[in-house]
Amino acid sequence: MRTFRTPCANNNGFSTVAAVTALLILVALFLFPRFVESPYTLHIMILFFLSTIMGGSWNILGGYTGQYSVGHAAYFGAGAYTTMILMQYKQVPPWYGIWGGIAIVVVVALFIGSICFRLRGPYFVLASIAVAEIMRLTAMNLKDLTNGAEGILATEIPPFTMGGTVITDFLTKVPFYYIGLVLAILTIIVTWLVQNSKLGYCFQAIREDQDAAHSLGINLTIYKNIALIISAVFTSLAGSFYAVYIGFIDPPTVLALDISVQIVLICIIGGIGTIYGPVVGSLVLVPLSEALRSNLIAQAIFKTGMVSEESGIGVFLKDHLAHAHALIYGILVVIVILFMPDGVLGFIKKLTAKKAVTGDRLTVTE
Amino acid sequence: MTVFLQSLISGILIGGVYALIGIGLTIIFGVMRVINFAHGDIMMIGMYLTYNLFTLAGIDPFVSILVTIPLMFLFGGFLQKLFINRVLGALPQNQILLTIGLGLIMSNTMMLIYTSDYKIISTSYSSSSISVAGISVSEPLAISFIITAAITAMLYWFLIKTDTGQAIRATAQDREAAQLMGINVKRMSIIAFGLGASLAGTAGALISPTYYIFPQIGSTFTLKAFVITVLGGMGSIVGATLGGVVIGIAESVSAVYISSGWKDVVVFVLFLLVLLFKPSGLMGKSRM
Amino acid sequence: MVKKLFSFFLALSLAIPNLSLAANVKVGFINSITGPEAPIGENLTNGVTLALEDLAKKGIKVELIKEDDTGKPQISMSAMEKLATRDNIAGVVGPYTSACANAVAKLAEKYKVPLLVPAAAKEEITRQGFKWVFRMNAPADVYASSLIDAALTLGKPKSIAFIYENTDFGTSTTKSAKEYVAKKGIRIVADESYSKGSPDYRSTLSKIKATNPDLVFMVSYVADAILLMRQAREMGLQPQAFLGGGAGFTTVQFAKEKEISNYVLSCTQWTDDVNWPGAKDFGTRYKAKFGKEPTYHAACAYESMMIMAETAAKAAGDREKTRAALKAGKWNGIMGEVKFSDYAGFTNQNNHQMLVQQIQDGKYETVFPKQFATKKAIYPFPKWK
Repeated sequence: MRTFRTPCANNNGFSTVAAVTALLILVALFLFPRFVESPYTLHIMILFFLSTIMGGSWNILGGYTGQYSVGHAAYFGAGAYTTMILMQYKQVPPWYGIWGGIAIVVVVALFIGSICFRLRGPYFVLASIAVAEIMRLTAMNLKDLTNGAEGILATEIPPFTMGGTVITDFLTKVPFYYIGLVLAILTIIVTWLVQNSKLGYCFQAIREDQDAAHSLGINLTIYKNIALIISAVFTSLAGSFYAVYIGFIDPPTVLALDISVQIVLICIIGGIGTIYGPVVGSLVLVPLSEALRSNLIAQAIFKTGMVSEESGIGVFLKDHLAHAHALIYGILVVIVILFMPDGVLGFIKKLTAKKAVTGDRLTVTE
Repeated sequence: MTVFLQSLISGILIGGVYALIGIGLTIIFGVMRVINFAHGDIMMIGMYLTYNLFTLAGIDPFVSILVTIPLMFLFGGFLQKLFINRVLGALPQNQILLTIGLGLIMSNTMMLIYTSDYKIISTSYSSSSISVAGISVSEPLAISFIITAAITAMLYWFLIKTDTGQAIRATAQDREAAQLMGINVKRMSIIAFGLGASLAGTAGALISPTYYIFPQIGSTFTLKAFVITVLGGMGSIVGATLGGVVIGIAESVSAVYISSGWKDVVVFVLFLLVLLFKPSGLMGKSRM
Repeated sequence: MVKKLFSFFLALSLAIPNLSLAANVKVGFINSITGPEAPIGENLTNGVTLALEDLAKKGIKVELIKEDDTGKPQISMSAMEKLATRDNIAGVVGPYTSACANAVAKLAEKYKVPLLVPAAAKEEITRQGFKWVFRMNAPADVYASSLIDAALTLGKPKSIAFIYENTDFGTSTTKSAKEYVAKKGIRIVADESYSKGSPDYRSTLSKIKATNPDLVFMVSYVADAILLMRQAREMGLQPQAFLGGGAGFTTVQFAKEKEISNYVLSCTQWTDDVNWPGAKDFGTRYKAKFGKEPTYHAACAYESMMIMAETAAKAAGDREKTRAALKAGKWNGIMGEVKFSDYAGFTNQNNHQMLVQQIQDGKYETVFPKQFATKKAIYPFPKWK
């Protein structure tokens, strides 16, 4: 059942058709803002990119190396806070600030790694939560540095200039769209590189069996830390991007346990340890939560005429469906875990594999 | 000195309730090796049960545990049978997310039923205290501490002396071996989860006269329960009891001598130190 | 499959906007309907519900577009984006929390949408010179100054202890309070923040008791207020006055706990016994409709929605005209006189008169300022029984 996750099996799927489709989607995504001007749609796309970056970076540590961190909010928040503090209090533009964020996050990651990687399984999970909680409480209490619970509000982003000409002043969503898109693609490329490199094989060996990997001469500490650093750096970029885009951060919005759980969910729902898992996960979660939140689903049901808006059920849906989005979220998680343990992507692969079995008997005997 | 003794006493008393939450989690972990992220939410269900019994039937929260314990046991058994049993062999992150999902369902269902208003139970003794040599002892907390002690003793007796208790301990020690010995492991898991849930529910009932209730209350206690369980040694009941009291005292004393803002940091640092230097917990390797 | 899903959602999102066009004016309402702030958010929703009824009586049909921000700034921003660019609303009322209101204020300015913040306390919201952002309630600094002024009129307190929740509301109110007491020459003897939801504040309170403060200033959420007072009684904490900075100390639930809540002084934006036109009537109707007492949040939201919808309807939904009318207008309703003016660094801020009330025999009585007082204040705080 898990065979499709071995490194070699994935290379087979890289056909010309897939490459052309990927290229077409890319071109479409790059041209998208030319045709769609609605800031709301762009905003949703940006949230989608953000979610892909977050999920993708977790995937490298959790999906490929098998270290199920539920404390990634620590890196997200550290990146967000560093960039934001530099921008707001030290007038350092964010495109320099993110490097500060990365530097801090690498230090934090090495520190966290030195604690957590001594532990395995559930102990690792709990330790990662504890460290992220310590970070949150510290940000809450170090009022002079972080402005505590009041959070940091960005008053303005300096315009990005190159040789005297203003490239963008960040007043519309378009620059954020492209930054998000590029970061998301970068995350996918890094994931692909990791999956197909010697480094990636070592990661996956650790995931499959730590002790066996160790006896093969793989230095567990070094490789786990490398995976953590790659993962943390991209999470930090996501955090910086979020902070600059939204323009406001406080401990509950960037350092809470919710964020860590959200990051893991993106991967689990999409498909853990696969290149496109985080993309699929984001494709499910971002529109779903937005549709539930703004009650689009109830309205769509009325529109189709399945239920009349005035009927008892209609009134109930209108009043409660929006309130119930977290409930539906929970139900979705339970369903995915119970019935699609390899995520939506794994589920689709299984379905197509079954079709292949019935279509072509030869593949079965392989 | 009075301030120190005062914080020590408060810490021990509140630690009793923490212990009960921790014991529930430790039993579940011991038998199933599943970290139950919905533990605080199960406790929250117990609190709402207590609230309803109090407001609708006028049953005192401390008496209501007679109803809460069996009901929560059934609820826990039901969760185990329907959901947790299916992921026992699955990847740890899937188990964790399943319980997170269940927790979300519980808290949001309660929110739909009761809205997210804070419910507070006001009994005649909610703010009464006994003063001993200048140190005030909260009456409701003292009562709940005594009940906690009694329940822990009974639980211990059950696990050591009864056949079912021994079967649960055997399952906790080695699932496969227990199965080979003819122990119905699935049934033991259901009982264990039921016990864990009823202990969490009881903790909820005991704390409700001095606390308040809202649907999202669970996560605070889930985190606390993790810390307590690891501190005591996962799967160790004596450890969890001790862990609960230690955490209660640590919170209370650090609130006075450091600051109330940093007290939770102290707790988590303590937790990490134990994980690093004594990963088996305060009570060593004992499993139940 | 993925594409299908995507196109389904695209279709879904395109299908919605042309649903109904019959209404007179389209107003957006961003609120915390779910999430941790939901208990208070509900009061705002109720206030708005009553406002819609009254607007309908006046012949203004409002098409209200409700958005849930779940208490998170990025989600409230999504909501604002949607309202401003897709739903074509004339104006927006909300969001409730300071963090969300702050984030949304920037967008309101960017999209040139009139935003009326009903009940967020953070001072900065209206201190950034935004032309499109208006605020109904008095900001955090008034919470502190009104209470301390009341205490200084009633007695001669020399020292003060602070205990507050470590949220935006708690810290920013306390920060302004600290600045204010420094000016008035009151000594700060304790400064304790706590995470909301801790079951045990006894040790913190015993530490405060050891410093023997004249005033205890608390900023807490609904249930923590009750918990703090219960445990203060247990500990025998005995200052000249307990001052409750809004929120949890101004709920009926708190007042009902007579044993511990009697004689606590608190400040509020609104009460139903104040002699502002319609306040009493609003209270009665609210109780009849929702089965509970109205909070100031409800009143703020009600008045905000009334003003926004009326102004927008008069301007026929034109955003620029609505903004100008809000800026120029003057109202007198259940929140007393409302006028959005520029003063002391604020822009478009309603210089709202906050009321100080004291719980006497389980009921809120306005005790300060004099012209609104219904009862005389009891000071100092009587000995615990």
